[in-house]
Formats: sequence, C-alpha cells, structure tokens
Amino acid sequence: MTNGTQAAPEILENLKLELRRGCLIVAVLAQLRSEQYGYTLRKALADDGLAIDEGTLYPLLRRLETQGLLVSQWREEDKRNKRFYRLSPAGELILKQLLEEWESINASLNKILQEATQ
Amino acid sequence: MNTPSPSSSNPSSAAASSKNSADLVERYLQAVRFWLPRSHRQEGLITELGEDLRSQIEDKESELGHPLDKAETGEILKRCGSPMMVAGRLGPQRHLIGPALFPIYEFVLKMVLLWILVPVFVFIVGPANVASSGGSWGLAVASTIAQLWYGLFIAAGIITLVFAIIERTNSQLGTEIKWDPLKLPPVRKEPGKPSRLKAACEFGFNIFGLIWLLLVPYYPFLILGPAAAFLKAGPIVHTFYLPFVFLSIVALVRSGITLARPQWGWFPLLSELLQSVLMLTLLHYMIQAITKAPGGFPFVVLEDAVRDSPKYFKLVAIVNVSLLVSVAATWLGVGIAAVIQVWALLKYLRNRPTPPRGMVSLILR
Repeated sequence: MTNGTQAAPEILENLKLELRRGCLIVAVLAQLRSEQYGYTLRKALADDGLAIDEGTLYPLLRRLETQGLLVSQWREEDKRNKRFYRLSPAGELILKQLLEEWESINASLNKILQEATQ
Repeated sequence: MNTPSPSSSNPSSAAASSKNSADLVERYLQAVRFWLPRSHRQEGLITELGEDLRSQIEDKESELGHPLDKAETGEILKRCGSPMMVAGRLGPQRHLIGPALFPIYEFVLKMVLLWILVPVFVFIVGPANVASSGGSWGLAVASTIAQLWYGLFIAAGIITLVFAIIERTNSQLGTEIKWDPLKLPPVRKEPGKPSRLKAACEFGFNIFGLIWLLLVPYYPFLILGPAAAFLKAGPIVHTFYLPFVFLSIVALVRSGITLARPQWGWFPLLSELLQSVLMLTLLHYMIQAITKAPGGFPFVVLEDAVRDSPKYFKLVAIVNVSLLVSVAATWLGVGIAAVIQVWALLKYLRNRPTPPRGMVSLILR
C-alpha cells in the first residue's frame, strides 16, 4: 500500500505537519504576549507566514487555556461579542522556557548540519 | 480589478445582501453545531467560529467595497470547509477514526443502532418471540433483550471496522465531500420557545373550563345534558370534585405563567409534566376507589323521584361503565403524554442554548 514514490508526498506532508504542530504552539503563545481575539490572531499568524485554520486554532486556544497558559475574556467590540486571549503569567514562563529550548534545538541542528556539510 | 456590485449603489439591496450573508453564516454554524458531539457542543466555540467568519466577511467587504452577496459569502464558507469537516476538527481528538470521518461515523452508528436496530427488535423480533413463546412472556422478553444486545454489539463492531478501514485506506475522503453552502437548511427556531397564541388560547380555555367545573354542581345539565332530569352525581364525583377543581386551578395558573413569562422556555415543559403527574395520581386513586367497591361507588345514580323505576336501571349501569372506561382511557392517554413530556423536557435540557463562559456578565451589563 505504501510504495516508495507514491507515498513520498504524503510522508513529507505528515512530517511537515508534525514539525508545524510544535512550532504553532510557540507562535500562538508568542503572538498572545499582546491581547488578541481569534480572527486577529489568525490573521497575524498568516501575515507572518504561519497560516492556521479555524478548526485548528480554536481547539488549540481552548487547550492552552485549560492548561493555564492563556487567559481569556468575552468583551463587546463593534457591537459584537469577542473572546480576547492573552498570555497568563504561567504562559509567559513556559514561553520563555520553550524559546530557550527552541534556541538550543536550533543551535544543535545548525551544528549537525554544518558537520554534515564539512 | 473588482467590478462594483449592484448592491454597492443601492442601499436597500446592500441591506438585503448583508442580511442574506448573515443568514447564511447562521445556517452554516447551525450545521457545524449539528455535527459536533454533544459533549463538545459548547456555544463558546460556535460563537468564536461565527465571529471569525463575520470578521472574514467584513474584511472581504472592505476589500471589494460592497456587502457580500450569498455566493460571495458561500465562497468564504467553502474555504472554511464543510460543516462536518469543521466539526470534526473542533471536536475531540480521535484515534481509530480521525476527526474528518468521526462525525459521519457517529451519525451512522446512531442511525443504525437507535433508529433501525432497536425499533426492529421492539416492533418485530420482540412480538415474534412473544408469539412463539407459548405464553411464557418473561422468557420471550429476556431472549429478545439478549438478541438485541448481541445485534447491537455486532452492528457497532462492523460499522467501526468499516470506518476504521476507510480511515486507513483513504485519508482524503473527508476533505472530498461535495457541499454547497447555499443549500444549507434554514436556521431553526430556538427550542422550547412557546407560541404566544397557543399560550393565550390555552389560558382562555382553562378559564372557561374552571368556570364550567364550578357551575356543574348547580347546573347538572352542563355535564349530563337531558339525562339530568333523572340522573345525579354519584358518591365518587363528590369525593373527587374538589381535587379536580384544584387541578383546574393549577392548569389555569400554569397557562397564565406561560403567557406572562414566554422567555421561560423550560416552564411549559416542566409544568405540563407536573400537571400530568398530578392528573395520573388523581385518576389512579379514582380507579382504585371504584375497583375496591365495584357497584358501590358509581359516577351517577338515579334521582330520588325515579329511584324505583326499573326502566332506568340498565341505563345508569351503562353510563357508569362508559365513564369507568373513559377514566381508564384518560389514564392511559395522560400516561403516554407524560412519557412524551419527559422526552421533550430532556431534549430541551440537552439542547438548551447556554451562553458562553464569561458571557453572562456581558449580557447582564
């Protein structure tokens, strides 16, 4: 069923998805250092090259809020009820640690890649 | 270059476009809500999705310079994905069957188990077992339940297996579903909201009924008609008259509150059920009183003037038996109504619109 050439694009797609999944969490947490509601957050991420669909973002926001990394508040803006999210103090701490981890992985990867090209 | 839409120059057509667009979004959200599992049918999630779609529409409108028509709104909804797909992504994480297929798997499972298999066993297999049991009902019922359990288990297993195979062999199936946003069903009325006209009519009839009941002791012809010349109320009517007056007052108060507080969607359902329970209790005691003293506790007796006239004996017996049958039939009818009312109340409680967390304070402000 999984013959080499036919499955390659699918494998790549799955690997890209896996790679993106972790990055998206960091990107969402980083964007929410300033308060935003769902749509503006999605737009900001897309403008920076990380498009995310509605069906992925809202459950992710819900999960991060349940984990205590985000806080949210329903407010009326332009006569419409919107849910605004921002990073919680615990989220700020986790983001800091995640970014350190990111830097460390990035450095290691660069080192590995350099060694491979030498 | 964008061609200006006719709606941009005509304010009334712009307003109509905007209304159509909002209606289409509501229909879309309703369809997403339908596919979401009950445990995930949180209004907050749907409100957020709706807000996102409206913001996308607004952005597109500013880009085009005119309100979006149905087709343009439909394009945005299409890009968002079919309601089933979106519900799959918004719902909980599934492993054996992925999010894209899970809503349709759940739907098929419910259809087959609850709406096909259970009715087949209740209305066909069960009666057939009872008929062939030779009078041993208990054994027939136990055998039917065992067969039903086995059938449910096998059917659920086969359906799950089929969907798991589809999931493994064709991961693109969920994304290839053809759908047209313009063909989404219209938005349904909020559940549980009673009609004002119905409540007003009910209130009017209850006033009329109470007055009629209060007048009956003074004007027996109101209930007996021409037979009032030779019949009068029996002991059972005297015993149960006041409880029936009380029940009529309860019904009147209930319909009055329904009329005055239409926003209490739960009230008509709960109060109708309570009224049915009261009625069932009263009828139960009435039937018990009659069966414990057969012949000695009649609904009607002969007037003193004709008490010894044999030509009326048969008539009074027929009237009493007919009234007893009517009471038993009413008991059965009210019992069925109570079951339906319990079902309606449970359905309302499960589907009632709950404001998103944190929004209550916003509404109260």
